[in-house]
Amino acid sequence: MSGSKLFTICLSLGIFLLTACDHIAEGDELIHVKQEPAQRVVLLEDFTGQRCVNCPLGSEVIEQLQEAYGDNVVAVGIHGGPLGFKGNAKNVGLATDLGDEYYNHWNLEYQPVGLINRHGAVNYADWAKVVKEELAKTAAIGMTASATLQDGTINIVVEAAGKEGTVSGKLQVWVLEDGITAMQMMPDGSTNRDYVHNHVFRAAVNGSWGDIFTINEAETMKQTLTQAVDASWNTANLSIVAFVYNDNGVEQAVKTKVISEK
Amino acid sequence: MLCALSFYTAKAQDVATVSGSIQSDMLFPQSDSDIGATKDGDFNTNTYIDVLMQSRHVDGGFRMEYMEHPLPGFENDFKGMGLSNAWLKFKMGDNHLTVGSFYEQFGSGFILRTYEERSLGIDNSLFGGRLVVKPVKGVTMKVLSGLQRRYWSKSEGVVSGADAEVNIDEWFSGMQEHDMRLSIGGSWVNKYEKDEDIFADPTHRYNLPKYVNAWDARINLNKGPWGVLVEYARKSQDPSFDNRYSYRDGHVAMLSTSYSKKGLSILLQAKRSENMSFRSQRNMMGTSTFINHLPAFTLDHTYALAALYPYATQLAKGEWAYQAELGYNFKRKSALGGKYGMNLKLNYSYVRSIQEAWFKWGSDTYYQDLNIQLSRRMTKDFKLNLMYMNQRYNKTVIEGEGGMIHSNIFVADGMFQLAPKTTLRAELQYLQTKQDQGDWMYGLLELSLAPHWMITVSDMWNHGNSDMEAYEENTHYHYYQGLITYNIKSHRIQLGYGRTRAGYNCSGGVCRYVPATKGVTLSYNYNF
Repeated sequence: MSGSKLFTICLSLGIFLLTACDHIAEGDELIHVKQEPAQRVVLLEDFTGQRCVNCPLGSEVIEQLQEAYGDNVVAVGIHGGPLGFKGNAKNVGLATDLGDEYYNHWNLEYQPVGLINRHGAVNYADWAKVVKEELAKTAAIGMTASATLQDGTINIVVEAAGKEGTVSGKLQVWVLEDGITAMQMMPDGSTNRDYVHNHVFRAAVNGSWGDIFTINEAETMKQTLTQAVDASWNTANLSIVAFVYNDNGVEQAVKTKVISEK
Repeated sequence: MLCALSFYTAKAQDVATVSGSIQSDMLFPQSDSDIGATKDGDFNTNTYIDVLMQSRHVDGGFRMEYMEHPLPGFENDFKGMGLSNAWLKFKMGDNHLTVGSFYEQFGSGFILRTYEERSLGIDNSLFGGRLVVKPVKGVTMKVLSGLQRRYWSKSEGVVSGADAEVNIDEWFSGMQEHDMRLSIGGSWVNKYEKDEDIFADPTHRYNLPKYVNAWDARINLNKGPWGVLVEYARKSQDPSFDNRYSYRDGHVAMLSTSYSKKGLSILLQAKRSENMSFRSQRNMMGTSTFINHLPAFTLDHTYALAALYPYATQLAKGEWAYQAELGYNFKRKSALGGKYGMNLKLNYSYVRSIQEAWFKWGSDTYYQDLNIQLSRRMTKDFKLNLMYMNQRYNKTVIEGEGGMIHSNIFVADGMFQLAPKTTLRAELQYLQTKQDQGDWMYGLLELSLAPHWMITVSDMWNHGNSDMEAYEENTHYHYYQGLITYNIKSHRIQLGYGRTRAGYNCSGGVCRYVPATKGVTLSYNYNF
């Protein structure tokens, strides 16, 4: 058999074997997956920006996750990076210098991009998958928090309980604001001046990277902090997020609404 | 591999030739808060060493790369160092087998084009095997399979394919006698990628096809000065991050006609593409793991302000793209040509969104470029190039935000022969726009002292007012640069200092975002 004939036979055979065609019929594009109960709280840091046209798509994924898992998914919209907007005389900006610091620290490349329990950058298309994986894990500590507003100051109480082994790391406390109406570039290229931004990162209560934290099994700890309210914040829509993190990622997180004390 | 190469080389009793090149681009960065330049270490470099050995029956080569501290603007995974590519090619008459890293293109690249473009950080070579045979006169067949390089790892998908090209004119002497060349080609590419969990929402995952197939058919006819190329390609369901997990097939069709005779050239092209982003990893974003490449129907401009807003082909969104180009030489000693003649080049590109109906346009213009270039030697010692360009650039579609930018660009480029080995080139450019960052000016002086030295100074100044919808403040900055270049034999060394603007560096419709930089640059190139 000549080399050419052999080649032609091999080529035909190869094409036959490799052209196995997977056609997904209309209506079969999605496969239902059972929703497993959450074992812990998951922190999703959404690095977003008002000039980022795809960022509203990330926000949609967050809405779906919070609808499915409620308080077990704590999302924080950190505005900053190249597509963040810090505002000018004409438009309100939500990006902060600290948002830029976080974006650069995590060496992020695109927006929107998320950190899910701080296990590295995750593209928003994969948020649901990674959040589900994280929710299935158990946490070595439990956390609760409360926050009250009095005379322009937020008084914050964070409590933690050790459930397994010793956990060391840092306790970080942030202020978030919901319901901010501000400009947002949209996926269709338009600019929405009435876009409602939720869970927007506003400030770090205890420094950019938090306070040192250690807790042993069966121990409890309580920490009180205060945060002055900025004049640009709407106090009716403020929340506090507290979480403990270390080199293994986020150990546990909690979110609580800021209650105004009359 | 080198041992194997030596063995085969010795066996063939051939003399192997060794050639290669070194390319090293270095930056000693400085911070500059005005333009947003940041420092990532004190030294950055992208360095490549290529070695190629050739003999009668076996060729081989490898590339070493050092990007442990890479230049700014490349993807994070670009960082690394080591042996990036290595290959052996066994030659038997007109047939050859390549094992290792290789680059390949089927037709115009609609369904397969692997290539290296260092300025963009692209090297999507395949690592595997490729067999090329010419079973009968005028027929070339290729079959290949491999894993695609993704920086310092391999992409998850297996890419396989076959291509056949038949030059019919080689079978009929009559066609050759009438200066007619006719070729037809057909290609197929398959991507296999394992299933994975990608969720549409918390309770539904996508039912992903593991195999994606793409086909391409083309015909190319040339007769005398005339040329026609028609090509069509189709891709099966390929839900991916790029197309937001759409299950629609992909298509691209192209018609390209040309006429070229002494002093006159005409090119007319049209292309419609839809959902043709084809990667070896479906959930990938950025510039890596593309299996295919659609040629841009827009000019790659070299003048700084003409290249300020470069177009990037919209693979996933799809586009209708048109290009018309006319080149004409006015003869010497004619009314318009003057004593030395004059060259006129007229180019028009238009890219627009698509609709589901094939021959209907979508509502958005993505890009438009009308430019006229005149090149004329005015005196024995002075040559002048003039260009006017009218551009519409949909920044939202191409970069993600910013709206439509409509600009007028004027360029004057004069070259003065000061002495037999001394030339001075001067450029003046102006970009006028009411959008984005407003108007820009650019000036350049370049002194060439042949055969060794070249000294260049330039400044690009954004003196216009920025759009306050998109910018926090005006950006009235100067982007100055000075370069000294020295050439000797096959060595070239260039030392520079200056600022570069943040923006997009594009080649062939593929773009990379380059952050602003400032500092000392040093480049070294050597071919051996």
